[in-house]
Amino acid sequence: MTATTEGMTGDRRATLRRPAADAATDGAAFAEAFRRAHRRGRRRAAWLRALLNVMGILLFLAVWEAVPRLGTWVNPVLLPPPSVVFDTFVPMLLSGEIPANILVSLRRAALGFAIATATGVTAGLLTARIGLLHHVSEPILHGFRSVPSIALVPLSVLWFGIGEGSKVALVAWGSFFPIWITTFIGVRDVPVAYLRSAACLGAGRLATLLLVVLPAALPMILAGLRQGIAVSLILLVAAELSGAREGIAYMMSTGHQMFRVDIMLIGLVLLGTFGFIADRLFVALIRRLFPWYTTAS
Amino acid sequence: MSGPLIDFDRVSQIYASRDGSPVWALRDVSLTVEAGEFVCLIGPSGCGKSTLIHLLAGFLTPTSGDVRFRGRPLAGPGPERGVVFQEYALFAWMTARQNVEFGLRMQRVSAPIRRRRALEALDRVGLRHAADRYPHELSGGMRQRVAVARALVVEPEVVLMDEPFAAVDAMTRTTLQEDLLRLWRETGVSVLFVTHNIDEAVFLAQRVVVMGAGPGVIREDLTVDLPYPRDRGSADFGREYARIAAALARGSRTAGGADGGTDGERRAA
Repeated sequence: MTATTEGMTGDRRATLRRPAADAATDGAAFAEAFRRAHRRGRRRAAWLRALLNVMGILLFLAVWEAVPRLGTWVNPVLLPPPSVVFDTFVPMLLSGEIPANILVSLRRAALGFAIATATGVTAGLLTARIGLLHHVSEPILHGFRSVPSIALVPLSVLWFGIGEGSKVALVAWGSFFPIWITTFIGVRDVPVAYLRSAACLGAGRLATLLLVVLPAALPMILAGLRQGIAVSLILLVAAELSGAREGIAYMMSTGHQMFRVDIMLIGLVLLGTFGFIADRLFVALIRRLFPWYTTAS
Repeated sequence: MSGPLIDFDRVSQIYASRDGSPVWALRDVSLTVEAGEFVCLIGPSGCGKSTLIHLLAGFLTPTSGDVRFRGRPLAGPGPERGVVFQEYALFAWMTARQNVEFGLRMQRVSAPIRRRRALEALDRVGLRHAADRYPHELSGGMRQRVAVARALVVEPEVVLMDEPFAAVDAMTRTTLQEDLLRLWRETGVSVLFVTHNIDEAVFLAQRVVVMGAGPGVIREDLTVDLPYPRDRGSADFGREYARIAAALARGSRTAGGADGGTDGERRAA
């Protein structure tokens, strides 16, 4: 019992209100100086971090550049140094070959991912909110989820040809599952206090779904989307390697056939950059759209 | 109108325990609350005081017996019965103002009026300055103030509070209690308030309903006949405190067992 701690009555109301503004006049100059110094310190730390990041990249490139030149134990044809890769890269970039391939791959990934987002979130919502649907779909969905998506590459080529259809379908297939499963968990685990609050404030089914369930599940849904982005790239490469006429992975596979490791390395760097930028953009977008999200979760 | 606002008529609520045997959360409980009354439910954990609140809110339907509101049996939750939960019930993705506006939005009140009424409601709990903050930017006490504003803004006839101040520190709790009393007297709303804190019950309630566990029953229904505002240091306050403490002790003795029937689950074991 807290009875013993509650003898302190009196003027607690005055002290619990915010401190009066009279302290602000002589403290203002100090506060401003403090704030400025604090900001300067943070900016300096950010610069230092960026500098170290760049140095890390330079160090990596330097080692890579040095290794093929150091001795006979590394074949420069199998591991061309970055300078050689760069010399190959520039003309391919200027001729438009690389931008064209990037565009094609990007379109496939984006289209497949968009389809997966729409179907995955819908499926997750429905299976989590409607018990009947959940039990009916559970074995099938989990069964398919257990099949490694890459195993479907040959089938997809048979069904959809080597055109755009099979690539988009594979990307959509692969990224559907993480999106569906995280949406399902997010919706299923919406705290009951939220649902009850909504109900006793007069919210109907649709309002509860749109204004309460979806936002409450959003952190999980976003985690699923982020995972979906990573999976899309994997399937994009698998699909393009198994028969395509353009695209980054196609470019790599022609490099392979011509024994041009430099071209293959360009593809690798492009894919890595792709994934990295997509992930960063996604995180930045979330911060902007959902200011409550980063700190609340 | 005639008859009580709230009427629990021989209500029983039975849960299945983990091994499937029945656990009586409430057994033949009858209780009436008049419009405008402030009633505290107090008792050990497992005495079914929260269950009583959940039944009245419409989150549960009784296994047997009737729960009537204004003479009519309940059909699910509704805005005429506001609820303030212990914690974590504010929508994290909405600012304080948007949280308070939610109920008005459900009533299709137009945006400018909604906004004005929400700000007024926040003003009444002393939080107008925090209207645009998100719940995670508020302290525990501030969050509960917003929760109270959110429940009151739709002008319910009764507010059900399930240990709403249990998770805030003692100093904040006393101010929250004073604010709640002020709001209660300003609005004339009925309050059904669950607590396990005798001091809180004596400070707030006109009536204190003492419950006992295993099975959940009402042991005593005591009137606290002290004028507001109540002085915690006064002799009268101490006397009421002792009276309720004694009723609670009697309850746990008759429930049997060394440390009293503090756990409804024990019966199932």
